[in-house]
Amino acid sequence: MTVAVLRSEPLMEIVSLTKRYGEQLALNDVGFAVCEGEVLGLIGPNGAGKTTLLEALAGLLPSDNGFVLVRGASIAPARRRDFMFYVPDGVRPYADQPVARVLFFVADVYGRSREFVAGIVIRVGLEGSLAKRVGSLSKGFNRRLMLALGFLARQPLLLMDEPFDGFDLKQTREMMKVLRREAAQGRTLLLSIHQLSDAERMCDRFVLLSAGEVRGVGTLDELRTRIKAPNAGLEEVFLALA
Amino acid sequence: MRSLKPQTRAPLLPLLVKELWEIFGGRAAWAMLLLLCPLVGFSFMEALRIYSEASSVAIGSPVMANSLSPLDGILVPTFGGFYVAVTLLFPFVAIRVLGGEKESGAVRLLLQLPYRVSTVIGIKLVAVGLAWFVAAGVACGSALLAWLFFGGHLAGPELLNLLLGHGLYALLVGSIALFAASLSDSSATAAIITLAFTIGSWVLDFTTAGSSGFMGLVAHLSLTPTLRTFEGGLLSFGLVAGMIAAITGFCGLAAVWLPTGVPARKKMWRSAVCVAALGLTLGASGALRTTFDVTEDQRNSFATADQWALAKLTGPLLITVHLAIEDPRYVDLRRNVLAKLERAAPNVTVEIADGLFSPRTGTSDERYGEVTYVYNRRTDASRSTSPREILPLIYSLAGLAPPTQLSTPDYPGYPLVVTQTGPVWAWFFGGLPLLIALCWRWSRRTLDVRKMFKLEDTHAHA
Repeated sequence: MTVAVLRSEPLMEIVSLTKRYGEQLALNDVGFAVCEGEVLGLIGPNGAGKTTLLEALAGLLPSDNGFVLVRGASIAPARRRDFMFYVPDGVRPYADQPVARVLFFVADVYGRSREFVAGIVIRVGLEGSLAKRVGSLSKGFNRRLMLALGFLARQPLLLMDEPFDGFDLKQTREMMKVLRREAAQGRTLLLSIHQLSDAERMCDRFVLLSAGEVRGVGTLDELRTRIKAPNAGLEEVFLALA
Repeated sequence: MRSLKPQTRAPLLPLLVKELWEIFGGRAAWAMLLLLCPLVGFSFMEALRIYSEASSVAIGSPVMANSLSPLDGILVPTFGGFYVAVTLLFPFVAIRVLGGEKESGAVRLLLQLPYRVSTVIGIKLVAVGLAWFVAAGVACGSALLAWLFFGGHLAGPELLNLLLGHGLYALLVGSIALFAASLSDSSATAAIITLAFTIGSWVLDFTTAGSSGFMGLVAHLSLTPTLRTFEGGLLSFGLVAGMIAAITGFCGLAAVWLPTGVPARKKMWRSAVCVAALGLTLGASGALRTTFDVTEDQRNSFATADQWALAKLTGPLLITVHLAIEDPRYVDLRRNVLAKLERAAPNVTVEIADGLFSPRTGTSDERYGEVTYVYNRRTDASRSTSPREILPLIYSLAGLAPPTQLSTPDYPGYPLVVTQTGPVWAWFFGGLPLLIALCWRWSRRTLDVRKMFKLEDTHAHA
């Protein structure tokens, strides 16, 4: 288990999380902590176990071993949704419904006002797509919708799987600002990102995951120190640790 | 800093509204409504034609008229067409409330919302029930309004009892569909599982009709016969409790299998508990023998005086029938005497004597056809299937005098000849489908987003 160097009290600690698919070990003794208000990047190549980890954390996938502590208290998988909201990748929710109806459904569930929804819509750039059916949205606009649904939820911790997938460079930078603003408002973000350049720009700290194992946890400077390469980028750090 | 206090309660209305939009946002519900028009329309028109033919002979003859009941002549055949649609088409509508979310992955969002899984399944079942109500209202409601327009008679308790039966049957199909959808990753697989239940019930009903012993027990697993009691005008508490238990059981199983974060072994254990609880509840509901004859002609009951007299037979009445159950005489005896006796007397046991007759070989012994009645250690036998002979025999065994019959008005029957059926044809085959198509078009309209936001000056616009 990798022990992280933490600056503040952890909001969530993951301890020895293990997940097997038959004989295959998808997550092996994964452990790290997430601090309040930070943007933590879960980075790793495709197949590293990022999605499996996020789903296991959210209680949507049974794990074989390990536990999750929130503010020091162990939280059963069924109760994790009280504290975290997972925005999955590759989901096109309620394809026959207009975007506005899907947004209002989640907003009404969480008791969000119309003004709040309007603010989110403007922030993620969905103004022109509200009347469109979800099934007709492009990949990028579907991603905006998913992000908006995450922002509508009230949980203090947001887990997002590939939040920039489907965006071009300009759109990615816009969304980074949006996510930064969300974090500045007190929301803690755990983002799974396979584009290391995006992760480097966006995240405060990183969890390097490879073949289901945590290979490093810390800020870029901490990771650079660990590999003794003070000028290395995240890509070099990852290659050295993976 | 955001609060860590979890949101434990969320309003149910948004979830219900979402489910209804899911049902009516797709094509399955609208396709079913369109298909219901010719299906129920044709059933109703045929029922009307046959009822009119019978009525034209019966008008002027009170004896013939009293056999004309709108329950048998109009309601049951009309709802029969609706039953076919519920059996074959309704599963596709019901599956949609969960199958779509499973296929698109939206179930991972749904499961994170602050609702219990049982609440999610319950709300989905309510939405399925409302969809059935809309379908029944559109198709059967049209037929009933047309019947009333022609001057036809409807008995409220009969109609409500029939509606209750069909509603429970639809909820049963819906709960099976939810269970199937929670098990499968695709709607197609869920549809196959659900249709295996509904169409399998038909096949089971055909193949085990009239069977006794093990096959008779297997026949009880069929969903099809559940409606017959309601169609016969009986409100059976045991049957209603059994259907509610089965609906709850399938919903419970759906709630067990829906969460993705629970290990399969735990789901198996929970399922076993659920099935055991369902089995116990079904067993207990089977012991509930309270029934009400809701028919206007009280066809499921003896005359009032006999009902009162038979209710006083507190001792065990053992009836041994030396007839094969496929024998028409047994069918007569069951309908005219045994079924009514089981309702009227508190302690009746009916046994079928074995090995007396084989209809296939035609061999029988001399007792074949005899029915033995034992009460208070006194025995008598009869070959009659008529209550006029059997009731005095039972009174004699019990040492009671036959009761004085009360003068109650005879059931008059409701003959009605309808000749001008053109407008009804036009409604079911033209007007109603057109109205449904227009409603579907309306449901696909472009949303007025500004109105949804209730903001006059907002950046949000379509």
